[in-house]
Amino acid sequence: MTGFFAIWKREVFSYFVTPLAWVTTTAFLVLQGLHFYLIVASFAGQLDLSADAGPVQTFFGQTVMLYLPLLFVCPVLTMRSFAEERRSGTIEPLLTAPVGTVSVVLAKYLAVLATYVAMWAPTVGYMLVLGRYGELDWNVVAAGYAAVLAVGAGYLAIGTMTSAMTKSQLAAAIASAMAIMGLFMLGLGEFIFAEGPLRDVASHVSVWTQMNDFARGIVDSRRLVFDASVVVLPLFITVRAVESWRLE
Amino acid sequence: MIEVTHLSKSYGSIAAVRDLSFTVERGDVVGFLGPNGAGKSTTLRILAGFLGMTSGTVCIAGHDVALERKQALSRLGYMPEACPLYPELKVGEYLRFRAELKGVPRRARQAEVGRVLELARVDDYAEVVIGHLSKGYRQRVGIADALLGSPPLLILDEPTAGLDPNQIREVRALVRSLGGKHTVLVSTHILTEVELACTRAIVIDRGRLVAEGSIDEIRRAGGRGRVALTVRGSESEVRRVCEARSEHVVECEAIAASGTARLVVAAPEEELAEHTEELVRALTVAGLGVREVVPAMATLEQVFAELTRDAAVAREAPKRAEPERP
Repeated sequence: MTGFFAIWKREVFSYFVTPLAWVTTTAFLVLQGLHFYLIVASFAGQLDLSADAGPVQTFFGQTVMLYLPLLFVCPVLTMRSFAEERRSGTIEPLLTAPVGTVSVVLAKYLAVLATYVAMWAPTVGYMLVLGRYGELDWNVVAAGYAAVLAVGAGYLAIGTMTSAMTKSQLAAAIASAMAIMGLFMLGLGEFIFAEGPLRDVASHVSVWTQMNDFARGIVDSRRLVFDASVVVLPLFITVRAVESWRLE
Repeated sequence: MIEVTHLSKSYGSIAAVRDLSFTVERGDVVGFLGPNGAGKSTTLRILAGFLGMTSGTVCIAGHDVALERKQALSRLGYMPEACPLYPELKVGEYLRFRAELKGVPRRARQAEVGRVLELARVDDYAEVVIGHLSKGYRQRVGIADALLGSPPLLILDEPTAGLDPNQIREVRALVRSLGGKHTVLVSTHILTEVELACTRAIVIDRGRLVAEGSIDEIRRAGGRGRVALTVRGSESEVRRVCEARSEHVVECEAIAASGTARLVVAAPEEELAEHTEELVRALTVAGLGVREVVPAMATLEQVFAELTRDAAVAREAPKRAEPERP
């Protein structure tokens, strides 16, 4: 894994010296802040609260506001990864250094994942606010964040893969946004398709249900296995794609 | 240090490198020459492990690039053509990143970066953002990068492309000074550069080797001797006399101030004396005074033109005999 840490550091550094990470993070936090405000404002008018449907559950799953930013933010975060290095040619010195392809791919992926985590980190403040003025089960909050991380990890892996497949950042972003939305919509089929194998598949990949389960503290390992496979498969394809550039 | 055997590379149906074999010995400064599109960059990219080969083998310091990639690459400093760098980093940051990537130990890193900054004469620019550098300085950062970790072999792809004459002279001096400590393979299409900075040269054209050897050997590779004559008389008179022998008179130009003209006769060594004698006689008969007859050194430029032209002629015949690729 020589060179892994060097590449990881440079990637994180580059995210935060170029405006991309700041613009995305700011936009993301403005939207999540609005999202949180709306939730709290709506719950403030209710007298009776069930334990299963509080602001935390709503924040992590029951409105479309969680998914919309994810579907846009993940492609934007990952689009540069490989596409920009190939366009500008810096991929050549990178791949002629004595580092393995797996190190390069993992370093780039984990750098973007770290940026994603940094982007979500300030929202912990919302939970602190809720905890200050009401009862809060921190295990449920942890499960909610675990789901956000697991689903995001998969989306970012898909984005890293599409970025390795084109020299155009825009094409990479569009391709990964389509793939992610496709996957998300397939999951919604759970509520639409008639009983049968198609519905089974849809419920297996359903991010909506996963988020709702986790937001209620139900951590199902089958969900995590699926999320892990959405990380591993695209990254494996990415490694093969990077290696195949040599054969072009 | 470098052993290339039967290297071929095709992009689809287009062959960029065809059956190329050469070796580079330790300590040599070798010029890698060829016209644009000859396959220079493709070959160097294969040597540096960036591109794979269609067939053949490449060994760097005894390690096969395809099989022992990491060992081969860790003995090699490579500067790609046009020298792509990350524009958002400072020069010092970039070189520290590259040093870490190349496995320079943490403690030695700062000193090593300082050393290459000085060697490539960019020590005043360590705190400058790469995006703000001129092309010449970016090129030097590329050379500094290649020098990191003092690899035994340096491969520089057109290090002087796009530089002004002063910068070219400096880079050339730098390349020359690297010989001895490093083995250097430097590509260029500027011949004077090779004459001034290199001890040996490899000439390729359309993916094939046309000549390999010391500069003197290459110079002789054209197989033609040269004699320069200074003749009193106007250029047009001299040309008229020379017309009958035009295939051997390769240059004829007036030297304006003195009312003389300069001729260069080129012919196979064994016929050269005969041709010169004939020409001198013809000129004298025509009433033009021959003032000077001196042996002339072929410039690499001329040899290069001859070599690549011969290759073009020779290529036509066997090309049709080759079986078509299925």
